[in-house]
Amino acid sequence: MDWGLACLRAALLFYALGFLAALGPLLSGGRRRTGVFTPWVALTGAACHTAALFALGWSLQRCPLSTLPEILSALSWASVLIYLAAWWRYRIEVLHVIILPLSIVVLFISKIMPGEVLPVAASMRTPVRHFHLTAIILGVGALFITFAASLAYLIVDRALKAKRPARFFASLPSLERCDVVGRMSLLWAFPLLTLGIVTGAVVNESLTGSPWAWQPKETLAVLAWALLGVVLAARLGWGWRGRQAALLTILGFSMVLLRMLGI
Amino acid sequence: MSILLYGMNHESAPLDLRERLVVPEGELVSTVGRLAGAGDVEEGLILSTCNRTEILVHARAASAERTLKSFLLTVGRATPEELERHCYLHTDRDAVRHVFRVASSLDSMIVGEPQILGQVKEAYAAAHAAGSLKTVLDSLLQRAFSVAKRVRTETGIARAPVSIAHAAAARAHEIFGDLSHSAVLVVGAGKMARLAAQHVAADGVGSIRVVNRSYQRAAELARELSGAALSWDRLPGELALADVVIVSTGAPHHIITQDDASRVARHRRGRPIFFIDIAVPRNVDPRVNDLDNVYVYDVDDLKSVAEAGLRERRHEAEAAEQIVERETTAYIDWLRSLEVTPTIVALRSHLHALGAAELERFRSRLGPLTPEQQRALEEFETALMNKILHHPIQALKRSTARPGAGTLVAFLREAFGLDGRGPANRGS
Repeated sequence: MDWGLACLRAALLFYALGFLAALGPLLSGGRRRTGVFTPWVALTGAACHTAALFALGWSLQRCPLSTLPEILSALSWASVLIYLAAWWRYRIEVLHVIILPLSIVVLFISKIMPGEVLPVAASMRTPVRHFHLTAIILGVGALFITFAASLAYLIVDRALKAKRPARFFASLPSLERCDVVGRMSLLWAFPLLTLGIVTGAVVNESLTGSPWAWQPKETLAVLAWALLGVVLAARLGWGWRGRQAALLTILGFSMVLLRMLGI
Repeated sequence: MSILLYGMNHESAPLDLRERLVVPEGELVSTVGRLAGAGDVEEGLILSTCNRTEILVHARAASAERTLKSFLLTVGRATPEELERHCYLHTDRDAVRHVFRVASSLDSMIVGEPQILGQVKEAYAAAHAAGSLKTVLDSLLQRAFSVAKRVRTETGIARAPVSIAHAAAARAHEIFGDLSHSAVLVVGAGKMARLAAQHVAADGVGSIRVVNRSYQRAAELARELSGAALSWDRLPGELALADVVIVSTGAPHHIITQDDASRVARHRRGRPIFFIDIAVPRNVDPRVNDLDNVYVYDVDDLKSVAEAGLRERRHEAEAAEQIVERETTAYIDWLRSLEVTPTIVALRSHLHALGAAELERFRSRLGPLTPEQQRALEEFETALMNKILHHPIQALKRSTARPGAGTLVAFLREAFGLDGRGPANRGS
């Protein structure tokens, strides 16, 4: 029996269960509190996921961060852990129904991708590359939270404009809280992404002799990074916030996600 | 043994009668003390609020009903006919359910209002002080408090806003969270402005400023709200600083136009601003709501939020009634088990004593026994008695789940002579 695969399937199952446990109460129109068990179920899933990553690393006898599916699996894992930490800190129930499906999709894509896609030459398995990937994975994991908070901001904004009854808001955070979480998570994500891009250039240089290859994917990544940088600067320096900030943040996140999925 | 509840509430009796039967706070302890000494009453408690006067007792006989009726006549000025027409009497299960419903605020004029639980707790404290509570009512009230807490946390009956001012405050919280850093601006100093401001400021706000055409009235309201009063010409500047703006003036036109609001919104760089327009005719141009990051609620919007809140509470009350029903059953079962427990204990010790005595009597006829044989005999005695006891005890335990436990208890006590009159006792 392949323990790594079994653990990975268990992780997927637990993430899905956690998502459903939070979705049910949310669809009941906020009558019941959302996702009382979800954090625990998701944590169990993350534990299985950790075991799966260890099992994979053991069987390959190397750090499982070489192929794109491996990187996506690690991203899904990191995003769940970061989301659990953010939930623990800010108690925003709506995170459950935004982050968990995202993590499930990323993990699912990593599973259906052919394992040998984009094989990585032995020369690329350098400490700098691992550092680069770790920074990118943590940065994008934190950006998941930024995305969720921005999306929640837009949902609450629309509900307020539409003058929905109070029960609609029962399982949603206040606008203020969405904004704070969006700002704080971007403040974590952006430096990590910056670090990831700089170390990425170092890796590139060691491989091709030039830090910048001007491929469309790389350009997309830098554009997304610049956009998020502008948003963060305007937020911190100019006190900018609100609907437009949320919309631009979501655009930046979508670009980063497109780049990660390698489309 | 029975629990009785006699009294009236806002639905059964007119205000005029309820007023006459209110027990003044200072007299509550002595009145309850008097109740506990009356007739068949073992324990008693009086709940007296502006919406209800109810007497709850645990009595030795169901005939205590008469005692209760005549006692209520001594509490205030009312005629027997009035009481007959406007009072209700609940016994046992119905009385327990009623106490749970009252404590959980299901019997209140506005379902889910929080004051009633405090009033029940005061009644409990007064009865305690008067020494009129023992096992049954004490446990009933303790259970009622935990039922009320369960209903409050497991259902949403206390959550949705049910008045215009409450709806405005709830919406402000949905935008700004806990308001402790929010600036509130009150434009106008009328009754509605005051009410809304009081609700919004109830849990504390960053700051409150009041502007009004008459500075003096602004100053009065500001003092009441612990805020600051400003002159009317400061309004445009203050608008840009405020997070929540409560507008309620007598002006027949829009005081805040779309241009004003759009200028303010630009200045705020996306930080939301919430206009609560409770003036009729409206003082804030409704098109202001179309601006990004600006939210406008007028009286009709708030009214529909409040009405949805009332519907929501009524819906939640159904779930709460189910909790109350389950808890009532659990409590009644517990009360009945209280009735059968002494009989089970007595039955067990009686039969084992009989067995031990008979064993002792026949033991000498068997001659010398080895310790193993001695032990086997004792085990035989225990096993036989347990076999005999099994069905009666099971029947007693089962009987607690349905009415008529008393009959079985009486029969078993009689049949086994547990009260010192039975054949077994006579024979020994």
